[in-house]
Amino acid sequence: MSDVSQFKLPDVGEGLTEAEIVSWKVKVGDTIKVNDVIVEIETAKSLVELPSPYGGIVDGLLVEEGQTVPVGTPIIAVRSGSAGAAPPAEPAVEQRAEPGEPGSAGVVGGPGEDMVPPPVPAEPEERQAVLVGYGPRSTTARRRPRKHTPIDPAAAPAEASAALTAAFNAVDHSEVAVAEPDTPPLRQDQRVEAAEPAPAAAGVLAKPPVRKLAKDLGVDLSTVVPSGPGRTVTRADVEGKAGEAPTKAVGARTTGAGWDGQPREERIPIRSVRKATAAAVVQSAFTAPHVTEFVTVDVTRTMRLVRRLRESREFRDVRLSPLAVLARAMCIAVRRTPEVNARWDAQAGAIVVQRYVNLGIAAATPRGLVVPNIKDADQLSLRDLAIAINSLAATAREGRTAPPDMTAGTMSITNVGVFGVDTGTPILPPGESAIMAFGAVRKQPWVQGNKVRPRWVTTLALSFDHRLVDGEQGSRFLADVAAILEDPAQALVWV
Amino acid sequence: MTEMALGKAINAGLRRAMEGDAKVLVMGEDVGKLGGVFRVTDGLQKDFGEDRVIDTPLAESGIIGTAVGLALRGYRPVCEIQFDGFVFPGYDQIVSQVAKMHFRSAGRLRVPIVIRIPFGGGIGAVEHHSESPEGYFVHTPGLKVVAVSNPLDAYWMIQQAIALDDPVLFFEPKRRYWDKAEVDEDGSPALPLAAARVVQAGTDATVVAYGPMVRTCLDAAAAAAEEGQSLEVIDLRSLSPLDMPVLHDSVRKTGRCVVVHEAQRTLGVGGEIAARVTEECFYSLEAPVLRVTGYDTPYPPSRVEEEYLPDLDRVLDGVDRVLAF
Amino acid sequence: MTVETDATPPAGSPAHDEHELVQLLTPEGERIPNPEYEPLIADVTEDHVRGFYRDLVLARRVDTEAVALQRHGELGLWASLLGQEAAQVGSGRALRPQDHVFPTYREHGVAWCRGVDPGLLLGLFRGVDQGSWDPRENNFHLYTIVIGAQTLHATGYAMGVQRDGAVGTGDPDRDAAVIAYFGDGATSQGDVNEAFIWAAVTNAPVVFFCQNNQWAISEPLERQTRIPLYKRAAGFGFPGIRVDGNDVLACLAVTRAALHRAREGEGPTLVEAYTYRMGAHTTTDDPTRYRLAADLEHWKLKDPIERVKAYLTRTGGADHEFFESVEAEAEDLAEHLRTYCRELPDPLPTSIFDHVFVEPTPALLEQRDEMAAYLASFVTEEAHR
Repeated sequence: MSDVSQFKLPDVGEGLTEAEIVSWKVKVGDTIKVNDVIVEIETAKSLVELPSPYGGIVDGLLVEEGQTVPVGTPIIAVRSGSAGAAPPAEPAVEQRAEPGEPGSAGVVGGPGEDMVPPPVPAEPEERQAVLVGYGPRSTTARRRPRKHTPIDPAAAPAEASAALTAAFNAVDHSEVAVAEPDTPPLRQDQRVEAAEPAPAAAGVLAKPPVRKLAKDLGVDLSTVVPSGPGRTVTRADVEGKAGEAPTKAVGARTTGAGWDGQPREERIPIRSVRKATAAAVVQSAFTAPHVTEFVTVDVTRTMRLVRRLRESREFRDVRLSPLAVLARAMCIAVRRTPEVNARWDAQAGAIVVQRYVNLGIAAATPRGLVVPNIKDADQLSLRDLAIAINSLAATAREGRTAPPDMTAGTMSITNVGVFGVDTGTPILPPGESAIMAFGAVRKQPWVQGNKVRPRWVTTLALSFDHRLVDGEQGSRFLADVAAILEDPAQALVWV
Repeated sequence: MTEMALGKAINAGLRRAMEGDAKVLVMGEDVGKLGGVFRVTDGLQKDFGEDRVIDTPLAESGIIGTAVGLALRGYRPVCEIQFDGFVFPGYDQIVSQVAKMHFRSAGRLRVPIVIRIPFGGGIGAVEHHSESPEGYFVHTPGLKVVAVSNPLDAYWMIQQAIALDDPVLFFEPKRRYWDKAEVDEDGSPALPLAAARVVQAGTDATVVAYGPMVRTCLDAAAAAAEEGQSLEVIDLRSLSPLDMPVLHDSVRKTGRCVVVHEAQRTLGVGGEIAARVTEECFYSLEAPVLRVTGYDTPYPPSRVEEEYLPDLDRVLDGVDRVLAF
Repeated sequence: MTVETDATPPAGSPAHDEHELVQLLTPEGERIPNPEYEPLIADVTEDHVRGFYRDLVLARRVDTEAVALQRHGELGLWASLLGQEAAQVGSGRALRPQDHVFPTYREHGVAWCRGVDPGLLLGLFRGVDQGSWDPRENNFHLYTIVIGAQTLHATGYAMGVQRDGAVGTGDPDRDAAVIAYFGDGATSQGDVNEAFIWAAVTNAPVVFFCQNNQWAISEPLERQTRIPLYKRAAGFGFPGIRVDGNDVLACLAVTRAALHRAREGEGPTLVEAYTYRMGAHTTTDDPTRYRLAADLEHWKLKDPIERVKAYLTRTGGADHEFFESVEAEAEDLAEHLRTYCRELPDPLPTSIFDHVFVEPTPALLEQRDEMAAYLASFVTEEAHR
């Protein structure tokens, strides 16, 4: 049998990677013996003559003189057939198969195998990425194919069973035995057999970030059902536990109930009305500079008027309240100080003075605070205004306020008085420039002339947007409203 | 039962080993007539002769290298390196020859030598007499490394090390040479050479130490107990191999670990333990593994060595830090 | 390519002082009388000399074949003894079976004399192991790569021989000596000097055999010493002697004398075999960068094998047939070596864990299992080299 063997360029100098073929000492067809010098190569370290590992007939010179090739490149093919030829062999030196070369897929070319000379690797056409100082980077490196995924994410942590055993063996002590300092420590030789005192969370498996999460959320790890691999408590397990009703804070010593035996904490998702209200007050509070002014008014005349009108034919089917009078007073007073009824149009760079009043009335509903408004309230008579207010409140309580009624308000009233509260510092509904808090009306001592008499007294608090409304304007408006409430006949003069 | 100082316990153990095996030799600088600068080999030359207790030339590489030759000839030399800082001239023989001989001869050759090294500080010494070079040897495959902390262990472990067919670096805490304890010379060793011991049980944190720091940590644990902290103190005893199962069991129970050594922090034994404990006990850890160590400076002048070396307060600070997580 | 350098020591410089060089056979193959050392080879017959010739030729053939194998890519490295055959065969043949040898990494000729199969020398250089033979079988220690380290091992071993009472008994089969081989460069190493000290103060039965082949890689003798190396011994307190390292008979005689001293309990001797490293330091080295071709020519004239051949031819101690048969044997040996080399199996990767310790540790066994599992996870093994 005639074999063609290839001699691959060896590493002749402990870690050389390439060599130049300087000159061939044989030509195709020559008969050579083992160890005949066949070629002179030049490496980074020296000029070296290479002896042939094979005897036979030179079948091919695979690399041209002057070419530099990597270690492992076949450089000569020798056809054996004469007696005494050495069997072809793989070079012994460290050679990782270069990507793209035969053998790089991990298949071994064994002795005796007929090997067709492969093409010399072509110079790469495209530019190779170069790490400065590190040379060109090979971009064809690949992971070798595996039989199975070596890293099994579902594999149980090795300590799982060990920790459980430790926990199982642990005995709960309230006091820990401490060695006497003088006792030779070797008497205390305790290995695994001895019972050890154990803390409450012994045996719970959870990675440090999960432990921290539990601590932050006040979750006791020992109460959490673990769902992770190897019976470890996961982040989701802790969060799930935190979302449940009774959660015990770490280290708490109480029974876990809130007052009246109710759950300790109630979690209400932030949604709809509450969410909107919160957004609105935040926007308003942090956009419009609020100023609140207060005036205390003797509203006895208004109260008498209300009583009188309630008994009149006009108002028989209308529930008239002082709130309606206040609303009417504001609509009258606004004409004298229209600035309190403006809006700040940042985009247009303009203050828009509105010559109409969309009067908002703050309503407490089961779903939260809403401020529906009465469009063109200034156009309404006292009677119609009263009807509108009543209707608006009822609708709001039923949760049926139409969306258009919720927008475009210009001024509002918040009736804190119904709660028995004297006054407050209301926050403007977004887009409005004034809001009046109407306090409780109660009998109080009042000075008239030189006498102190019981009169019906209330406090009005006007919050206004100081971008639009100066102190003078706000004060004048508030004083005018107070004046009407103090003497409703004043309205005759101003309308 | 005899009360013995640690240095004397080693002496007694050496004596027993030499009585039991005629191949056991003792060799080093000043070990013969003088009995060693710490008197650890006191009286041995008188009883066993100059052929077996050898005053060597002042050449550490020579001590180790000739010990290799003696071992190849069938002897069991116990070398003494006079002080920790002087092991370095012999370092090449230790890591290039002693450590590799069994491996490179495919198991045909054995080098059953023991290299005794007094180590550690706290004795007010000048330079090179207070080092903790154990890390260089723990890092070297083919060597076994132990550090004794108390007289009873010293008595038995020197005998076990001599009997072992592998080379052993035997570190002796020189500042504890005069510590005394009861030693039953006719008993038997309580533990294998490579075993760690839970010296004192506890629940709040695991404190790991070896050599001179074991005493320090026991003192710290006693002080901690008065403050209501329960510390579990482990004496590693063997540094290579490390008896990790004992540590793992402890940390799984306490969830917290502090390693204490005199050697400088970077790449000390503490770093290796931290890595292994974190790997094996990750799901039980309440806190990272902390280390209380010497600082990353050359060993300082003796006037400031007490600030350099971990002491009771620094150990307890470490415990406090690990408990704060 | 040769380079003009002044690295070549000028003739007559102190380190080379060529007086007091023991020689029994000239480069031309003529015996010269030497009253002191003649008696030591009185027993040497023509048959012995033919044997030495064969040893020298085969030692050289093993060496040149190994260099070729390295060029074939079968060995990573080889350290050639070319030119030093007589120093090694002469000293090697002076040894008794119970003597123990501590070589460097170039003593293939001594290995030959100790009966170590030449194939066993290859494992280290091929990278399949770190020493294939059992030192206890032939009393020939593994090769030591760290320069000079083995001189301490030899000295300690000799101290053990003393303690075994195998010195000065007069029993030729019991009295043992130790021989440590090292080169001129090694004499600068601390370990070698410590070994001299120890051997001197303990009177150890060790022969320090220095093959001064003039070069430590590229550094000439002048870089290691100001005085002839054999004179160093006096400073330590024991005899030193220089011998013609290319004269197999002189090397035999001088080494015998030194070994005899050791066995008798008279302590160490330093033998400086003055020779020349005809090849490169190793196959990685390029001597043309630091020495002149002219030097090689000078030393070729002193070839150790040629002089023995000339001697045998002149005395009629060997004929053409003999020389041819030795050549043929050399060819067969070379073939054996090539085949043996190519068939050397690679070690099992997990075998690296087997002999780290006499008593393996649990952690090490775990690592071994880890490696085994990792390797088994691949579809195919890496292509074997």
